[in-house]
Amino acid sequence: MKATLAMQDIVVRRGRSKVLHIDTFSIQPGELVALVGPNGSGKSTLLQTINLLLPFQGEMRLFDEVTAKVNQEVLRRRCAMVFQEALMLEGSVFDNVAWPLRFRGFAAPTIRLRVYEALALFGCAHLAQRSAQRLSGGEAQRVCIARALVTEPELLLLDEPFASLDVAMRSAMMEKIRTIAQSKGITVLLVSHNFSDVLYFAERAVALFSGGILQDDKPEILLRRPVDERVARLVGMDNILPCRIEREGDRDFVILNAGIRFAFPGNGAVSPSFLCLPGDALLLSGEPKVKPHHAGVLFEGLIERIIPGIASCCILLRSGELLLRVRLPREKTEGKLWPGERMQVWFDLADAHFV
Amino acid sequence: MFGDGLLEALQLLMNWDDEIAEVVKMTIQVSGSATLGSVIVGVPLGLWLALQNFRGKRLFTAFVNFGMGLPPVVVGLFVSLCLWRYGPFGDFGLMYTPTAMIIAQTIIASPIVAGLSFAAISSINPKLRLQLISLGATPWQASRLLIREARLGLLAAVIAGFGRVISEVGAAMMVGGNIKGQTRVLTTTTVMEVGKGNYDTAIAVSLILLLGAFSVVFLLTWLQHKGKCDRL
Repeated sequence: MKATLAMQDIVVRRGRSKVLHIDTFSIQPGELVALVGPNGSGKSTLLQTINLLLPFQGEMRLFDEVTAKVNQEVLRRRCAMVFQEALMLEGSVFDNVAWPLRFRGFAAPTIRLRVYEALALFGCAHLAQRSAQRLSGGEAQRVCIARALVTEPELLLLDEPFASLDVAMRSAMMEKIRTIAQSKGITVLLVSHNFSDVLYFAERAVALFSGGILQDDKPEILLRRPVDERVARLVGMDNILPCRIEREGDRDFVILNAGIRFAFPGNGAVSPSFLCLPGDALLLSGEPKVKPHHAGVLFEGLIERIIPGIASCCILLRSGELLLRVRLPREKTEGKLWPGERMQVWFDLADAHFV
Repeated sequence: MFGDGLLEALQLLMNWDDEIAEVVKMTIQVSGSATLGSVIVGVPLGLWLALQNFRGKRLFTAFVNFGMGLPPVVVGLFVSLCLWRYGPFGDFGLMYTPTAMIIAQTIIASPIVAGLSFAAISSINPKLRLQLISLGATPWQASRLLIREARLGLLAAVIAGFGRVISEVGAAMMVGGNIKGQTRVLTTTTVMEVGKGNYDTAIAVSLILLLGAFSVVFLLTWLQHKGKCDRL
């Protein structure tokens, strides 16, 4: 199957500085990809480059066509992009959604039919005659997405369109777009700095830092096996513990700030600076080992706070200089653990990830 | 004296003297053409300045802004030198013609229209153009919609350009020469009548000028207000 998008040695400059440098990046038809990164990492620039809105160096293929060799307008019309802000023109909601079809020279009856279809998909048909300037934030974003989908694009580029929506609305919108994209085979590239959106929406996540791709994998891999500390912080890794490796004889040991020391399970040639531990990898002392052949490491400390949650609670455990975030099921915390109490937790070295 | 001037103005309007009618007609022709010329030059220039990024844009914008305060007599002098018999465009024989006045006034008003158009287009979210292009608009379609979006500000630019043109006298005198029946307009007539000591006539002509200017500006403001109401 031919890739929807293939980028090779892409460089985008702003003035003299390089704001984007992508060695290789491709998206297959129908893929739901999320692009994550901190502010200023080049996410929007990458999206605008793909949408042929910015000049670039390098080779890009869109729908298997080399962008430099074909009419860019024709390629751009096979894509649609939604910006973070709801950018509306004066006039009614109907007019705003109709413009992409008018640009393409569709006849009035077809425009009418398709606009109402697109609005109905997002529950906005009743807003058709309302002034676009009078919509609420949520309504405006729904209309913007309907406007992007009215042309039935092959590639949908979403630049944080849910940023201003409340949690319930975000989930509903993402679910809706996901369903539509899957049913119509639309390839989607979603930009977000919220990793829970990524987990909810995408099958593949790309972490972008300083204009370059750091990690491109399944969202759960980014979540549990980030390639470096920056990705770990981006995905909201619960525990990023500074560590160093010391060699004793022919064995390497990991030394944590709290004075905790254990044998380094990895390759001695690599010298990591941080130990990443998801909160759910820390288990209450006394719980049986899931993987008995692996060694465990024990922490002891005082419970500082218990943060309630839906399925699990987050316990802030002070162990020397370390503040650990431990995620335990509700039934193990409610009425059983209290702030100020001593607590022992341990983790299986198989769950430890060093960066 | 003001009362006499007012009475004379009313008499002039009631009797609609042929000479005055000729001056009013010439004023409408010259000011209308110069306003149109400044819109044709200024609006695309303002649009281009607002939408394009290029090296030296700030310097160029500073020049346009400087042009907004261009002294009419300097423009008059420059146009005179160009159109004078031995000037670079002397062969066209345009000196002391309405065309020369239109050229001078277009040069005076264009930077105003361009500067205010630039401000009007710049006040629109710059991402809107990108959004339109990403939705499949050609650059021309996107520009047309942006002009529509910025029409309140653009009408203000046209009003300011017209105001500058209708009130201009220095350049009109220099390149038009205030020739009776050929290049005499309301402003140059006022100056001439004051020079002759005919203050009553000067006031009357000024009132006609004010009435004309107010009518045009009122019409443009009404159009602007209509646009504003349509938004709500």
